[in-house]
Amino acid sequence: MQTTPLSEAPFMRVLILITVFLAFPMTLTARADSLKQLQQNLPTRVLNWTAEPADQFYDPATIFSYIDGGAEVYKAYHMQQCFSRRYANPGAPAIVLDIFDMGSSLNAFGVFTHDTDGEVLALGQDARLKPGWLSFWSDRFFVSIYTEEETPAAAQAVRALGQQVAGRIKPQGAKPRILARLPTEGLDSGSIRYLHHPVVLNYHYYLADENILDISHRTPAVLARYQRDRKEARLLLVDYPDPQSAEKALAGFLKDYLPDADSRGAALLENGRWAAAELQGQLLAVVLESDTRQLAVSLLAQVFNSK
Amino acid sequence: MPPQKRVITRRDFLRTGSCVVMGSLMGLPLIGQAAGQSPPPSRVVLVRDARVTTGYGSLQPATLENMLDQALTTLLDAPDPASAWQQLFKPADVVGLKSNVWGPLPTPASLEDAIVHRLLRLGVDAQNIAVDDRGIRRNPVFEKATALINVRPMRTHHWSGLGTLLKNYIMFTSAPWSYHGNACERLGAIWHKPQVAGKTRLNILVMLTPLFHGIGPHHFSRTYTWPYGGLIISTDPVAADATGARIIQAKRNAYFGTEKPIGPRPLHIEAADTQFGLGQSHPDRIELIKLGWNQDILI
Repeated sequence: MQTTPLSEAPFMRVLILITVFLAFPMTLTARADSLKQLQQNLPTRVLNWTAEPADQFYDPATIFSYIDGGAEVYKAYHMQQCFSRRYANPGAPAIVLDIFDMGSSLNAFGVFTHDTDGEVLALGQDARLKPGWLSFWSDRFFVSIYTEEETPAAAQAVRALGQQVAGRIKPQGAKPRILARLPTEGLDSGSIRYLHHPVVLNYHYYLADENILDISHRTPAVLARYQRDRKEARLLLVDYPDPQSAEKALAGFLKDYLPDADSRGAALLENGRWAAAELQGQLLAVVLESDTRQLAVSLLAQVFNSK
Repeated sequence: MPPQKRVITRRDFLRTGSCVVMGSLMGLPLIGQAAGQSPPPSRVVLVRDARVTTGYGSLQPATLENMLDQALTTLLDAPDPASAWQQLFKPADVVGLKSNVWGPLPTPASLEDAIVHRLLRLGVDAQNIAVDDRGIRRNPVFEKATALINVRPMRTHHWSGLGTLLKNYIMFTSAPWSYHGNACERLGAIWHKPQVAGKTRLNILVMLTPLFHGIGPHHFSRTYTWPYGGLIISTDPVAADATGARIIQAKRNAYFGTEKPIGPRPLHIEAADTQFGLGQSHPDRIELIKLGWNQDILI
């Protein structure tokens, strides 16, 4: 079966590469200016909280000094710049606004999907609220607003600030095209994780101590959970730059992870669940864990029939 | 030709029916006892005092010092604190105190000061004592250290599930990120590096206002700290961490009103026991001595 390639034709990719290369310095400046521009329009006061005088900017080299530990996630999604502003209110916990320019809406969406627990809010292009923390994505920005301690007044201010910031960013970011390849039946949309770094995959689903699927910035991938008739499965889709790369990745995966796969690429795991893999063109689909073989095979079939 | 490195996969973990794989699979020796031998239980002292803190940001240094002395004396069955310190350190030692400077929840300076003061009183030369965290790989005292003291607050952690005593040594490596795979399961390997191996004489897990849940990029909110008012002290870092982990897990369950597993699961504690032979992680192999305040002790 022939599948529609997700990337452009080779000559188009070369053209895009040349264009990006020539425009690179200008693009960086434009992005930095844009976050600066956003800064000018942000509120200096929210309810009883007032912005502290010194806003901060961090780049990929300095972000580790600001975010200890978790910065690697933002780096994995190609963070360009982070803007930070603190709002103070004497006798109340500070509120911290961080806006990450992720360089593209795809990466902003991706870093948002890293943690999607919490109450869904209609803010930006998608938002979550949990005690002490509001996050949303819009266009190429990921926005985090947290309070150092949850109080009713601080919670109110966090929401108000979120509304104001969201109102200053046009919610026009495109989502990754690979999401469209996920079968919809039984899909837990809250479980979707968009990624292109093996560290992020291993965080959500530990596969191996090596990058056995050759996941990189050139391979957009999506991980999602399914439930059908009380049976569960996890599906991973990886879009490689070309069929040869995809074939190589599949061969490596079968060798290291599913050497006992049957003719349909399925194998019974040691925990009684099933894993299976199938490749068509440059799209690799892997059912990492499925309660039944039938569900695994059915998911793979639907991936390649859903174009 | 060198042997090809074997890829360790999730299926290896599933095969062993455990979260950790055999040391031989990792190309590392299983350190510890010969077959049939069983090491004695690791002693861990949990000391608590309701007066030491009323919550995040508050601390009574004098109370903290008393807790430290009481715990160490009990840990080593010593007649008094001075004798206890003498059991662990000699005046000729060069001592690196591995601290933790994480902004929202650092090792309390007053605890560092109390330890340094006791080393000085023991006769250790001031120039042979250093307190450091991120600069330890360039710190001359740490470079020639004959003894290490490991002291840090316990907290939840984005990559490893828990920021533990075991994890506190990650700054001894040049590439900390390389240990982030599988919830930092391989952290125990750091403890076998030459600049660390066999040098740690004392581990102090600070449980004054632990962080039991993390949110956002900074993984912190005071909302998820509480005044537990404790110190966990042991010569076995694994046993101390395992004890702290049980308390954090119990607090999470109590706070959220449901089973709320630490995420990601802190595999490195169990791995440090079964894979790297650094100590004992199972409660039935830990002799836990509780001192002081007992209310809401969670363990």
